[in-house]
Amino acid sequence: MRSREVGARSKSRPAGRRVNRRTFLTAAGGAAGLVMAHRLLPADPARAASSADRATLVAAFSLTIRSLDPGRALAPDELMVTHAAYDSLVTFDGEDLSTPRPSLATDWKISGGSRLYTFTLRSGVRFASGNPFTSADVKWTFERVVNLKSNPAFFLDNVAEVTAPNPRTVVLRLKAPQPSILPILSSPALGIVDSKLMLEHGADAGPDAKTKDQAEPYLMGHSAGTGAFVLASYAPNQEVVLVRNPQHWRGPAALERVVIRNISEATTEALQLARGDLDIAVGIDEQNAETLRRVPGVTIRESPMAASFVFMVNMDPQIGGPLNNPKVLQAIRYALDYDGILKLAGPGATRMSGVIPNILPGALDPREAVKTDRARARALIKESGLSDIKGRINYSSSAINYGIRYALLAQKIQADLAAVGIAVELNGLPGPVALGEYRGGRSPSLFGGYLLDYPDATDFLVYLPERLVGKRLHWPASSSPAAKELAQWGDEAEQEGDAKKRVALLQKIQRRLIEVGPYVPMFTPAQPYGFRSNLRGVTFSTVWEVDFSTIRRA
Amino acid sequence: MNLLVYIGRRVLLLPFMLVGITLLSFILSHTVPADPVAANVGEQAAANPEVVAAFRHRWGLDRPLPEQYLIYLGHLVRGDMGTSISTHQPVVADLRHHLPATIELAVAAMLLSLLIGIPLGIASAARRDSLFDQISRTGSLVGVSMPVFWLGLMALIIFYARLGWAPSAGQLNPRLPTPPFVTGFVVLDALLAGQSALVPDALAHLALPALVLSSYAVGVITRMMRGSMLDVLGEDFVRTARAKGLPGRIVLLRHAARNALLPVITVIGLSFGGLLSGAVVTETVFAWPGLGSYAFQSATSLDFPAIMGVGIVVASVYLLVNLLVDVAYAVVDPRIRMG
Repeated sequence: MRSREVGARSKSRPAGRRVNRRTFLTAAGGAAGLVMAHRLLPADPARAASSADRATLVAAFSLTIRSLDPGRALAPDELMVTHAAYDSLVTFDGEDLSTPRPSLATDWKISGGSRLYTFTLRSGVRFASGNPFTSADVKWTFERVVNLKSNPAFFLDNVAEVTAPNPRTVVLRLKAPQPSILPILSSPALGIVDSKLMLEHGADAGPDAKTKDQAEPYLMGHSAGTGAFVLASYAPNQEVVLVRNPQHWRGPAALERVVIRNISEATTEALQLARGDLDIAVGIDEQNAETLRRVPGVTIRESPMAASFVFMVNMDPQIGGPLNNPKVLQAIRYALDYDGILKLAGPGATRMSGVIPNILPGALDPREAVKTDRARARALIKESGLSDIKGRINYSSSAINYGIRYALLAQKIQADLAAVGIAVELNGLPGPVALGEYRGGRSPSLFGGYLLDYPDATDFLVYLPERLVGKRLHWPASSSPAAKELAQWGDEAEQEGDAKKRVALLQKIQRRLIEVGPYVPMFTPAQPYGFRSNLRGVTFSTVWEVDFSTIRRA
Repeated sequence: MNLLVYIGRRVLLLPFMLVGITLLSFILSHTVPADPVAANVGEQAAANPEVVAAFRHRWGLDRPLPEQYLIYLGHLVRGDMGTSISTHQPVVADLRHHLPATIELAVAAMLLSLLIGIPLGIASAARRDSLFDQISRTGSLVGVSMPVFWLGLMALIIFYARLGWAPSAGQLNPRLPTPPFVTGFVVLDALLAGQSALVPDALAHLALPALVLSSYAVGVITRMMRGSMLDVLGEDFVRTARAKGLPGRIVLLRHAARNALLPVITVIGLSFGGLLSGAVVTETVFAWPGLGSYAFQSATSLDFPAIMGVGIVVASVYLLVNLLVDVAYAVVDPRIRMG
């Protein structure tokens, strides 16, 4: 989708642009094709049974894979592969993101003023290479992640030292108490790597690893973990093939081979799932999902995601303009038609009161959420004393996440704000440009789905003043006493070890944040996906998407 | 000027044109108002200046642009196109992996276009204004105007999903063992690996996307061939051939069609370029792992080395096809090389 094709009323549309005959025919033909595709999907998956190969599972994604080196990989599709091939110290079951479970660590002890984490490692575990797994591998893996200075390095920012006093024990000494370190350690980016094998392939975990480490090319075609699967091959933009690790400590997985194919066209995926040529299809959009619900032998599911869709305004008056006036911000909260927005977000999406997604402990009850009240919104605008309120929304015009088309959502917000007299111009940009504008603090207003990096609510404290998102919206802690207080509460929440107190503090933070902050929480999205009904154990996790080790055929 | 000198002169010009293309690609790709850091570094990591600096250093983005270009050229003459930021693989390896799939598709589509378009154009001209001609003209108009995206989806729905005549999207059935990568051409690799059982599957997977991709070229070639034939059929030498009592088929094929081919050769050359660009859409619909999907991912990731690599390859193909068209002209019409 091109940026200028959306938002017909957008003032950003170049004045001289014309739609010629061919462009029109292409667009009309494409749209008609999609409509017909939905009508013509097969009602009877005749070939499903005959083509099914029980040993191989074929899954389709619109894949984005840059690296399969666990020390560098952090994108969800990358984590799906590294989760299959590498085990971490702790893990989560299925779609649950609240209770860390033992994995390579069988138990752990917290001491030293909540700064020392002592892990007991599982005995008898071997890497797929046959090398024994020891605490030296854990220490080496964590040091490599830190020194590679790549995407996952921030996970261990608070770790002062990793020691391995004996082969079955690892100790992490933290710079400050951080209860979220346990969920962080579940990330496949911290999956334990076979240090002996890696050293043979040019790996380096020393202080100069960012320039000396040469192991990535090896890890793009092989894996070096203890995971349930081994990476058999990877063809960029095409497919990833995993084969079962027969000596996995949990016992061999039910599936012998997994083929993960890159299919970027949603309708192509839907057709193949309906015919039984695919076992799992994750790139289907909501329209295809609706059609597939009527196809026998196909199960459609929406899994709630730990992501928060929030509308936000730049606090720099030169950039945000009148939208960051406190009364106008309140008016925006009452102006949005949340029921309509939820329809665009698709089935499974739920209204969100704060910034922490509903599936994480610490989220506010959705019933607390602001309700649409246009009269109140108009009254607030009147109270602001401003007239002729104008603004601009930056968004990635081609983005479709969780089946949500950003272009449609932008148009919906524009229409809702127009209904109370706020005129916003839509500024659809190519993805990297929109991201660059946001990160550079140049977006007047925007919306987006912040996806968690690790399964803990404190990851969403990025919205606080002075923190990741707050900084990009030019909202320093020094801007007001309320902002300073919020920043302080954020620090306390990060260090609070008592689960109940932590939840209470996180909820207090969010209530204050939506009163004084530049945010309008909208919804927690859900990921639509489909799979053949003869599969059992299919789940979709926000962190590592599909866990192939739990899937079996009925 | 003899033919060899003519060809030699054209070949000598190619490296200069390629250098021009690299410069143009480099300037264009770096004028995009976006930073590769935004497209490739995670949200949290991008806030850490040390990580951002490591990223820029790793990909050579911390050097001045002219220096980056000269380094690129220096590597290019040694056959090194750098490493892709989006796949972390050498660009040459990526191209070697993706290009054969696109060539396979484009060549199959071109062959279909020639096999369908030329006879159809000749037959249409021979039966001017007949029902056959009307159908052929309508068909070629449909081929030219139909969006490939729509046609591809319809073909999949009808021939794959409804009738079950065509296999699913992709190059091979994913449940079959993939042949080891040697040439990148699946059929050839299957034969080299002694997996001849894969050949029918590979050809079956190729048929539908090639047919869809050829639709535009079939339409253009049919119309061009028909028009050119109608012009030639009115020439004196055709009338003379007929007056001499030559059989109609001989007049049509040996005298008229051969002379009518000249303008069609240009169209064939241009159509091949069209097939390469059309392949981007066809590859998306049919999950075909070719250069189109690689180019798309490179562009969205601001992957400069990959964008340059794709640009150079596509431009080289265009240059090569243009050269072949010019040579074919020179072979068919001696006046061209004498000029």
